[in-house]
Amino acid sequence: MRHTLSALGLILLAGPLAATSAMADTFRFTAIPDEDESRLVERFTKVADYLEEQLGVDVEYVPVKSYGAAVTAFRNNQVQLAWFGGLSGVQARRLVPDSVALAQGAEDAAFTSYFIAHDSTGLESGDELPDAVEGMTFTFGAKTSTSGRLMPEHYLRQRFGADPEETFSRVGFSGDHSRTIALVEAGTYDIGAVNFSVWDAAVEDGRVDTDKVQIIWTTPSYPDYQWTLRGDADERFGDGFTDDVRQVLLDMTDPELLASFPRSGFIPADNSMYAPIEEVAENLGLVR
Amino acid sequence: MSLKYGDRYPGLLRGTGIGARLARHSLTLLAITLLLMPLADLHVLSRDPWAELGRIAQGLLMPHFGSIDAPFKALGLTVSVALWGTLAGVVLGFPLALLFSRSRLVRAGCAFVRAIHELFWALLFLQIFGLSALTALAALAIPYAGIFAKVYAEILESTPSAADDALPQGTGRLSRFLYCELPLAFGQLAAYTRYRFECGLRASVLLGFVGLPTLGFQLESAFREGRYFEAGAVMWLFYALIASLPWWAHRRLLLPLTLGSLLLLGPWPQIDGALLWRFLSTDIWPAPLLSGDLPGLVAWARDIPELLPAIGNTLLLGLLGTAGSLVIAMLLWPLASRHFGNRLTRAAGSGLLVFLRSTPELMLAFVFLLLLGPSLLPAWLALALHNGALIAFLVARHADSLEPGMPDLPASGRLAYELLPRVYPGLLALLYYRAEVILRESAILGMLGVATLGYVIDDYFQTLMFDVAFALLLITACLNVLVDALARRLRPRDVTHDDPCLRQEQLSYPR
Repeated sequence: MRHTLSALGLILLAGPLAATSAMADTFRFTAIPDEDESRLVERFTKVADYLEEQLGVDVEYVPVKSYGAAVTAFRNNQVQLAWFGGLSGVQARRLVPDSVALAQGAEDAAFTSYFIAHDSTGLESGDELPDAVEGMTFTFGAKTSTSGRLMPEHYLRQRFGADPEETFSRVGFSGDHSRTIALVEAGTYDIGAVNFSVWDAAVEDGRVDTDKVQIIWTTPSYPDYQWTLRGDADERFGDGFTDDVRQVLLDMTDPELLASFPRSGFIPADNSMYAPIEEVAENLGLVR
Repeated sequence: MSLKYGDRYPGLLRGTGIGARLARHSLTLLAITLLLMPLADLHVLSRDPWAELGRIAQGLLMPHFGSIDAPFKALGLTVSVALWGTLAGVVLGFPLALLFSRSRLVRAGCAFVRAIHELFWALLFLQIFGLSALTALAALAIPYAGIFAKVYAEILESTPSAADDALPQGTGRLSRFLYCELPLAFGQLAAYTRYRFECGLRASVLLGFVGLPTLGFQLESAFREGRYFEAGAVMWLFYALIASLPWWAHRRLLLPLTLGSLLLLGPWPQIDGALLWRFLSTDIWPAPLLSGDLPGLVAWARDIPELLPAIGNTLLLGLLGTAGSLVIAMLLWPLASRHFGNRLTRAAGSGLLVFLRSTPELMLAFVFLLLLGPSLLPAWLALALHNGALIAFLVARHADSLEPGMPDLPASGRLAYELLPRVYPGLLALLYYRAEVILRESAILGMLGVATLGYVIDDYFQTLMFDVAFALLLITACLNVLVDALARRLRPRDVTHDDPCLRQEQLSYPR
């Protein structure tokens, strides 16, 4: 019995040998984990299939656990292309010289964050954040998220002239936008800052109970998500590869693929568009 | 364990005997804890933790195995990383063990690498080797090398010297070692290595929390996103893996398992020498330090926000965790001891203890955090339950080996007058052993959102300021080395030595 069991165990362990070896010429990409990962893997595998078909090279999606890990993978050349947020893109392009922002979502030129509040706070939607938020509890998204941390913190400081830690009785980092919504909906935090497109998609899909949590303020707009490619891509995948990737991204029109970002389409972008983000990040001490 | 003649007033706390000393120790620990408790942030932040707890329990009871994505791949990688990480730790640690008693440098180096948690090492190696097998292996092998060096050295030192003395004079050092010392110690060395492999399995699972595709990867996402049926399934897979250890990690299977698992390891990174060098020579050091700019260094240090709250919270959580473990261990050990209850209660008690001690603190804390919100409370609960159960389990085994001299006493009397006085010194010794581990865990729990050092360290890793992150890791390590030294000083060393059963247990499980 004992031996049968152990032999069985060995077979089970030795079975899935495949798919672990690193192939040199696979084009890999990642995306910052800004919402539920179950959806991330599913939706980006489809994107990988599309890119593979269009570019004629093997394409693989590499899932990561944090924004920092996405930047690290890009820096270490474990991925050559990444769907970054504004700030993570700035971090990545500073670390990898010659890397370029290729394209952004049509919505990303003028992106916004929502401040959302639990029903029990009694806060109402308005043109600016009410003074009543002072002393309540508050959660950002991920620590280096543009729409979940950087810009909300920037506007909070503008509005109250103080560190968020001074404005609120408790400040947390939920980790991602979906979690921010869940935490405010559950009342763990009174208020949260969330990416507008994740919120809108969640409301549309009925994943949020809008009786319990509502938008109280919308930030002014700023540039956000973009596709960034490493500077040595042409060298590795052939001349003109960078332009090909850009074109393929801009040509992505299948609503099913686009819905997973969620964006209505992609438009050209370049590094200079993200100078305002870089400046805010420098002011907040998030890059140096 | 008797009172000395000089004790005129053998009050509970006044004597110089061992019992009185231990009672003073324990009560002081509890008193300090109670005194400092108001400083700790122990709020329950979520509004409805019970409903959530119900959903988690439901998920655990009715797991949905079909929802796990490629379970065998994750399982295989988890085992491979644990096996090869432990093996690499042995290869690195064994030579160090031979130098251990002779070189202060080796001792200090080992204490240092031990003091940094596997996950912190993983975060560090992630920066150079990315999400690769090398990161996972190094994260396990390096701290384990330090642990193996220390424990192997202790085992080798405690082997009986009679056989060695009987060898003819002039026998070479190597022959002495190979033919005499090693065979005598081999059983214990192997037993400890086995125990460490089990720890390696738990650590390997946890590596998923920072993104390596082991079992923890899906576990973390599933829990965080509230897919408790999937999380429950991964948990059961993990428990099955631990429980079936005696079968699949059999001595005779070791070689095929080791070789087979080598194929499962991956992906291997393409190492960029320039990047590696830049990280080691530049990234992790403050720029002013490298350029020899002293005022700049002061300014650099001043730019780091206030660390005292984080350090204070880490120490406080360590203290709370230690005192909590003491209380939990005292409450739980009778549940699993043959001296109390009936067969049913004992089975339930043992089951509970095995469940709590097999679940890593980090995993427990993660679930409690989801339930209660990010205060120190969930972290405290996790530390106390896991470590308390671990100690309770060993204490129950110790108690089982004792024969009560007055069998007619009622259970309460048996506990108070017969068993407790005999097992308590061992319990406290285990607690002090554990104190250092508890502190190490207190720091790492910050990565989940608790306001300890790990929280700040994670901040700097996320913003890619590796010099500050590295400096904070050094501070964390130093704190740990200090607490370890303190615990060793306080540990009731003299009492444990005349109890072979306990000594055996301590050797087979120090940290």
